[in-house]
Amino acid sequence: MRVILAEDSTLLREGLVRLLVDEGHEVVAAVGDAVALVAAVEAEPPDVVVADVRMPPTHTDEGLRGALEIRRRWPDVGVLVLSQYVEKRYAVELLGGRTDGVGYLLKDRVVEVGEFLDALSRVGSGGTAFDPEVVRQLLARTSHTDSLGRLTERERTVLDQMAQGQTNATIAGHLHVSQSAVEKHVNAIFDKLGLSQTTGYSRRVLAVLRYLGS
Amino acid sequence: MEQVRTAHGAAGVGVRLLGRAVRLVVGVLLGTVTAVVDLTYLLWSGLILVPVWPHPGARRSAIREIQAGARHLAEVERWRLAAFLNSVNSADYTGRRAVEYLCLRWAVGLLGGAVLLIFAYGAVAGLVWLAEWVAGQSGPLLFAGQLVLGLIGLFLVAQGLLGMAALDRRLGRLFFGPSDRELLERRISELAVSRAGIVEAVDAERRRIERDLHDGLQQRLVALGMLLGRARRSADPERAGELLRQAHEESRSALDDLREVAWRVYPTALDNLGLDEALARVADRAGMPVTVHYRLVEQPPARVRTAAYFVVSEAVTNAAKHARAGRVVVDVAPGQNAVVVAIDDDGIGGADPAGSGLAGLARRVAALDGTFRVDSPVGGPTTIVAEFPCG
Repeated sequence: MRVILAEDSTLLREGLVRLLVDEGHEVVAAVGDAVALVAAVEAEPPDVVVADVRMPPTHTDEGLRGALEIRRRWPDVGVLVLSQYVEKRYAVELLGGRTDGVGYLLKDRVVEVGEFLDALSRVGSGGTAFDPEVVRQLLARTSHTDSLGRLTERERTVLDQMAQGQTNATIAGHLHVSQSAVEKHVNAIFDKLGLSQTTGYSRRVLAVLRYLGS
Repeated sequence: MEQVRTAHGAAGVGVRLLGRAVRLVVGVLLGTVTAVVDLTYLLWSGLILVPVWPHPGARRSAIREIQAGARHLAEVERWRLAAFLNSVNSADYTGRRAVEYLCLRWAVGLLGGAVLLIFAYGAVAGLVWLAEWVAGQSGPLLFAGQLVLGLIGLFLVAQGLLGMAALDRRLGRLFFGPSDRELLERRISELAVSRAGIVEAVDAERRRIERDLHDGLQQRLVALGMLLGRARRSADPERAGELLRQAHEESRSALDDLREVAWRVYPTALDNLGLDEALARVADRAGMPVTVHYRLVEQPPARVRTAAYFVVSEAVTNAAKHARAGRVVVDVAPGQNAVVVAIDDDGIGGADPAGSGLAGLARRVAALDGTFRVDSPVGGPTTIVAEFPCG
């Protein structure tokens, strides 16, 4: 996959480049701020962009602004944002109506190399990837609502995985159950949450996150 | 040599005393003149007020006018007190206070005039007695008696003049000086400002610590984790070994960073080894020549120690980072019930006292009732002086 990196810490940027190259990805460009990021995408649109939220000059949300601009101008480019903290507002802004090719991970998640690479390829191929911590917090915030309270323990676990952007097959693998069992849980969740039948798992994530974020 | 100086000294003292006496007499004399003016003004004001009193609007504007006029007269009195009676008063008073002052002031002025009259009378009497003695109309006994009487009179008049001047000064201080209440109010607003300042300074400090942790330490730990992750995924044992070696290096760097951050949050040396040792470490780590002259005998109180440390540390960092200084001299010296910390560098100057770092230091010093001064002309050099009271 062709990747553009934006991370202001040289240490981390170099580390990420090595990691991606090791795994057989092509790093088109690795830059240190959001302006350079947009310029790099303009010069040669990659499959996916990995951007830190906090970058120079003000170290607040430049990276996110850059990511939003890329999503607006180059809808085909996947965007994976790395954040220091869980900021629900950033996650919601990033979704902005479309959940294809978008991800929001805590920066520390990079340490789980396998998870990070999975998330990257999901986003690069038009899927979604949300940090388990983001999902956990969103779930915790809305757990008081009645419809969510009706979910069983197992359905909650499945919903949690769904919200992260996992496919049914992956969820089945994680939970050591058959794929049809997962499909059964998913249907039960949609029923209980009052969501209509939809196709494609990114729209499913959109529905779940919309519901959770409401 | 010593005697010459003494003789000069005596003459000098004599001239100074005479000068002061003349100024005193002129001051009291002028005070009598102004007293007449003041009294006239007050009487005239009273006359003005009588017809307008029943009409609140007119009364208010008349009072306003009268107070404005009273301020002008009070300003003249303040000038006289400062020029002749060595009494400087604040210009911070209301029109109402000016009127109140004039109401008492005219009496003091006229009393001073009475003393001067007695003095004039005595002087004339003395001249008459002298003329009579010269003309042979009085015997030596009578003249000696008159001389003693005259000297006693002169002494009393001098005392009277001094007394009137003292009364004049007192009156000025009473009305022009801020009242106890105003002093308290000023102190309260000073405290409110410094409290807000210290809260801001603490918040800025916290932000800095957060940045230190996230931009330094966290990045290192993530990089370390990434190296370990790559090593675990690597199929090639040699490659994995190399990655582990790098990870080991990285963990050492992370520890160094952690120590650095912890030191910047609060150097434990301040408590264990004292300000001099902590400052010596600042000098060691500055990355350029820093000379510390530490001239305190005892360790200052903990709050002063901490604030002084941060002032020096920030100033040295600034000198290295922004001022492109070649060398820095830090001087920590005892002042009057205070510790004075001065930092000089030979850099390019132009430091902005309103910038976040320096403003934070100023707030920190102000919270301890200290003073903070930055002198940094463009082109340099820069001098920063902080004085901490240690009462």
